[in-house]
Amino acid sequence: MKELIEYITRSLVDAPDQVDVRELKTGNRIRLELRVAKDDMGRVIGKSGRVANSIRSLLRVAAEREGKQASLEVIEPQ
Amino acid sequence: MDERTTLEVIAPTVEEALAKGLSQLGLTADAVSVEVLDTGGKGLFGLGGRQVRVRLTVNGPDKKPALEEPQDTPETVTEPVPIGAEPEKIAGADTSSEEKDQLIDLSEGAVSKLLALMNLKAQVSAHFGNTDREGRIPVDVEIRGDDLGVLIGRRSETLNAFQYIASLIVSKKLEQWVQLHVDVEGYRSRRERQLRRMAKRMAEQTIKTGRRHVLEPMPPNERRFIHLELRDHPGVRTESSGEEPHRKVAILPRED
Repeated sequence: MKELIEYITRSLVDAPDQVDVRELKTGNRIRLELRVAKDDMGRVIGKSGRVANSIRSLLRVAAEREGKQASLEVIEPQ
Repeated sequence: MDERTTLEVIAPTVEEALAKGLSQLGLTADAVSVEVLDTGGKGLFGLGGRQVRVRLTVNGPDKKPALEEPQDTPETVTEPVPIGAEPEKIAGADTSSEEKDQLIDLSEGAVSKLLALMNLKAQVSAHFGNTDREGRIPVDVEIRGDDLGVLIGRRSETLNAFQYIASLIVSKKLEQWVQLHVDVEGYRSRRERQLRRMAKRMAEQTIKTGRRHVLEPMPPNERRFIHLELRDHPGVRTESSGEEPHRKVAILPRED
């Protein structure tokens, strides 16, 4: 799941080396935290969150295949 | 709130459901509004087709049929399916054949990679599709395999998300907008035929009853087939209302 998020976001941003995905597991639930360069925020979120929500749809399928629940959080850069 | 009697009926076809509902209510067709809740037959890959489900709402004595206020201008069929805010450039035209091969390879590669990372086993093949109204050539990507229902999702929401992400990935690589049309086991083309058939059926109903028929909520690409199928219909016109993802097409008698 981490790899899926990394592949998608690195393919969409201008600064792929600044893509950071962290996986936080709590039992069956996995929380993925995504950090990208400030200028790339718009690219991974999209208009009205369309890109991020589409990524979440794909993540849901990947998680279900493993019998898990996953959520994706795009973290604002400091 | 106004109170109306409503009745939900399940039957093999819309016509039968309507007839059944009317006889239960002891009313004629012009005393009710009809809403199709489930067009039936939407079983994945043509299997497990369901019956249709309609809701009949008895019109108040001096009330117009349950009209929802149109909140925005109806989409027109000349509009392309919204594909996001990307610059819309020509995918295939103006590029050399080498670049075209590269585009096909990139598309197949991105889709295969996504599928693998989603733990889905499938075969992927891409080729150029038909030029659209704006002269753009989309890339058609066909995915084949078993148990790919999860990739389609409810009302093809997952497949649309997949298609969008795959298009973005390829477009970013080529630095120009490329629209991928991703289909799974011919699902989209089957659905298009189904929707067009249903549109014709509902148009007949609309003419027969003189009443508007509201279809179940559909994503933009599916609503478009209804508009397209009926755009030149002499007896009915279509319009959409409501907010995504609950936007619905209504079929209305033409008033001119």
